[in-house]
Amino acid sequence: MRILLVEDDAEVARFVRRGLQEAGHTVEHAANGRDGLFLAASEQFDMLVLDRMLPGGVDGVRLVETLRAQGNRTPVLFLSALSAVDERVKGLKAGGDDYLVKPFAFAELLARVEALARRPTVDAPATRLKIADLEMDLLSRTVTRGGKRIEIQPREFRLLEHLMRHAGQVVTRTMLLEKVWDYHFDPQTNVIDVHVSRLRQKVDKGFDKPLIHTVRNAGYMIRAEP
Amino acid sequence: MTPPPIPQEDLPNPWDPLLRFLRSAGFRFALLFAVVFSSAAAGFAFVLWFATAGSLDRQTDAALRTDALGLMERWREGGPGAVSDAIAERLAADVENHAIYLLLDPRGVRVAGNLDRWPAAAGQGPDGPWSFAFVAREGISVEARLYTMNLGEYRLIAGRDIEEKQRLRDTLAEGIAWSSAAASIFALVGAAVLRRALANRLRPATRTAEAIAAGDLSRRVPSSGLEDEFDRLGESMNAMLDRIDRLMEGVRGVSDSIAHDLRTPIARARAKLEEALADTAEPGALRAAIEQAIADLDHITRVFGALLRIAEAEAGARRAAFASFDLAPVLADVAEFYGVVAESRGQALVTELPDRIDLVGDRDLLAQAVGNLIDNALKFTPPGGRVLLSARSLPREGIEIAVADSGPGLPIEDRARAGERFFRADASRGTPGSGLGLSLVRAVAHLHGGDLVLGDAEPGRLPPGLRATLRLGIA
Amino acid sequence: MPIRLPLSVMLAAPLLIATGEPIPRITSDSQEYCTELVGRLARLPGAGGEPARSLGADGMRLCEEGQPRAGVAKLRRAIRAAQAPP
Repeated sequence: MRILLVEDDAEVARFVRRGLQEAGHTVEHAANGRDGLFLAASEQFDMLVLDRMLPGGVDGVRLVETLRAQGNRTPVLFLSALSAVDERVKGLKAGGDDYLVKPFAFAELLARVEALARRPTVDAPATRLKIADLEMDLLSRTVTRGGKRIEIQPREFRLLEHLMRHAGQVVTRTMLLEKVWDYHFDPQTNVIDVHVSRLRQKVDKGFDKPLIHTVRNAGYMIRAEP
Repeated sequence: MTPPPIPQEDLPNPWDPLLRFLRSAGFRFALLFAVVFSSAAAGFAFVLWFATAGSLDRQTDAALRTDALGLMERWREGGPGAVSDAIAERLAADVENHAIYLLLDPRGVRVAGNLDRWPAAAGQGPDGPWSFAFVAREGISVEARLYTMNLGEYRLIAGRDIEEKQRLRDTLAEGIAWSSAAASIFALVGAAVLRRALANRLRPATRTAEAIAAGDLSRRVPSSGLEDEFDRLGESMNAMLDRIDRLMEGVRGVSDSIAHDLRTPIARARAKLEEALADTAEPGALRAAIEQAIADLDHITRVFGALLRIAEAEAGARRAAFASFDLAPVLADVAEFYGVVAESRGQALVTELPDRIDLVGDRDLLAQAVGNLIDNALKFTPPGGRVLLSARSLPREGIEIAVADSGPGLPIEDRARAGERFFRADASRGTPGSGLGLSLVRAVAHLHGGDLVLGDAEPGRLPPGLRATLRLGIA
Repeated sequence: MPIRLPLSVMLAAPLLIATGEPIPRITSDSQEYCTELVGRLARLPGAGGEPARSLGADGMRLCEEGQPRAGVAKLRRAIRAAQAPP
C-alpha cells in the first residue's frame, strides 16, 4: 500500500514510517500541511495518515476538506493530541474516516490503517461471511460452524461480524469498543477481553482448530490457518 | 525590529465628566422620571384649566346667546321700542354690574344701552358675531365679551364685562405657573434622589467586581436583604463567582493530581529504565524493563485521558453537544456490556429499568459514568454477590440512576471525599483503578444539572452495601 | 407676595397702540344713570316695601356722595327687590 504520512514531529514521523514500512507499505512523508496537500493532490495514494494540527497554514482538517472538495476519496486516518469528543467529531465531519488519539501503540495504528484500507465497499453488500467452516448469515442472523448451529446473542453477533469482516486483520480492543459498542471511553476493566473469551467459548470450544486468535500487545484476529 | 506603536492617549476632554454623567444609566432613569413626573403635572394642569377657566368662558357665551335671542324675540314682537325697554330693564336689574348693551339706530345714534360708542372690533373678528373688546369703566380699561347682531337696520351689541372672570383666570394661571415650578423642582430633586439611590444600590456589585478584577476572588456581593432585582443580580454574580471558584479549584486539583498521581508512575518507569540501563548485561531483563515501562506509560496515558475527560465534563463545554435520546436502551447496553464481567466473577448484575426515559444529554458521557459506577460496584462486591442497576424518571426531581451493590459499603466519613480526584478509600487500596471513576461520575452529574449521592444500599444489613445514585436534573 | 400677572393689561397695551382710537366707555356707572334708576324705582309698585326702600335710599346717598358705581349697585338690588313678588 502507498501511504502518505503528514506529521510535523520528526520523531513520531520516523517511528510511524518505519513501522509501516516494516509492515510492507510504501510511505511518503510531508512535514507540513501545505506540502502534504500538494503531495496528496498530485499523486496517487491508498491512504493518508494526517496529524490533526499541522504547521504551514493548512491543518489536517483543512487538508481533508480541500481534498474532499476536489472529489478525492482516499481514506484518511487522523492522528491527534486533541482528545475532546468535539475535536474527534470535527475531524470525522471534515471527511476523515478514523481518528486516533496520541499517544498510541503502533499496533493500534497499523490495525486501523489496515482496517481502513480494506473497508467493505458499499456497493457490494455481502449476505454471507465465511471463515473456514464458520459461516454467518447476515439476513437470517444465524451462525453455524461445521453445519452446526451456534446460539449467539445480538451483541455477540455484531462482535463476530466485525471480526469476520476484518478476517486476517488485527482488530484492537479500542476498535471493537468503538465499532461494536459505539463507546468512546475507557471502560477501566478488561471488558472487551471477557466478551471475546465468551464468544470464543461458543465459536471455538469443541472444535480442534481455533479461529479467534489473540495477537499479543495488539488485539484479536479471526483467521482460518493457525 | 520596529518598536510597537505607543498607544496614543487622547488629551483629556474637559467635557468628559459631563458626557459620562449624561451617558450614565442613572441619569437616563432620572431623566425618565422627571419627564414622566412633569408630563403628569402638565396633564393635571391642562385638565384643571379646561375645567375651570374654559367652563367660565363657555358659561359667559351661553348666557350672552340666551340674552341676544331674548332681545331678538322682543324685536319681532315690538320693534326698537320694545328692545330698548328690555335693555333698560335688564340693565336696571343687573346687580352684578357686568351687563353691556348697545342699540344703534340706522344712523348710528344710540337708542339704548350703556356703551357710548360702537367698539371697533365688534362684529369684525374671525369668530363671526363673537368678539373681545376693551371698554373703559370709570377710566379703567376692562375686557369684555361681545355678541353682535343686526336687527333690521338697527345694530345691537349684547356683552359682558369679563374682568372678574379674567381675574380668576389670572389667579388660576398664576397658581398653575407656581405649581409647575414646584413640580419641576420636585422632578429634579426626585430624579437626583433616584439617580443616587440607583448608584447606591449598584455600588456593592461594582465594588465586588472591582475587587475581583484586582485579584481578590474571595469577595462576594453582599445582600441587602430586600430581595429585589439588585439582590438577584448580586446572587447571580455570586453564583457565577462560585462556579469560577470551583473551576479554578478544579484546575488546582488537576495540577495537584498531576503532581501526585502522574509523577509517581513516571518516576517508577524512569527508575526501571535507568536500572535496566545499568544492568545491560542481561538482554532478557532489558526487554522486560522496556515492556514494563511501556505499560507504565500506557497507564499514565489512561490517567491523563481520564483527567482530560473530567475537565471536559466539568468545563460544561459538552453541553453544546447535548442531544435528546432515550436513556433506557443506553442503560441496558451498559448493563449488558459489564454483565459478562459480573458473570465471569460469579456475580449477578440485575437491572430494573423502565421502558423509556427521555433525556437531553450526552450519551457517551452518561454511558461512561454509569459504566464506572457498575465497574466500581463489581470490584467491591464479593463473588456470588449482586449488583442492581435501576433507573426511574420522576416528574419533579428528574432522572435517578442507582447502582446498588452487596459489598462492604462506604463509611460515612469517606463518602464526601469519594468524588475527589485520586481519592481511594483505605479498603480499596488493593484493587486496580485510577481513583478517578467517581470524579468523572460527579462531573457528568454536574454537567447534567444533577449530583452524585452515596448511601447504604440496604441500611441495617451487614455489610450494608453501597448505593450510588446519579441524579440528573430535568434538562 | 406673588407677582400678579394681569393678562388683560398685557393684552390691552398692544391693542390700544394698534387701534389708536378712544375705547368705548360704559355709561352705566354714572350720576345720570343713578337718577334714571331712581326714577325707575319710584315707578315700581313695590318700591315702598322693605328692603327695596332702604336699599334705594342707600343707593341715592352713595350716588350723591360721588360713588355712582356702588350707588348703582344698591339701586339695582332695590329694583330687583321691588320687582320680586312679596
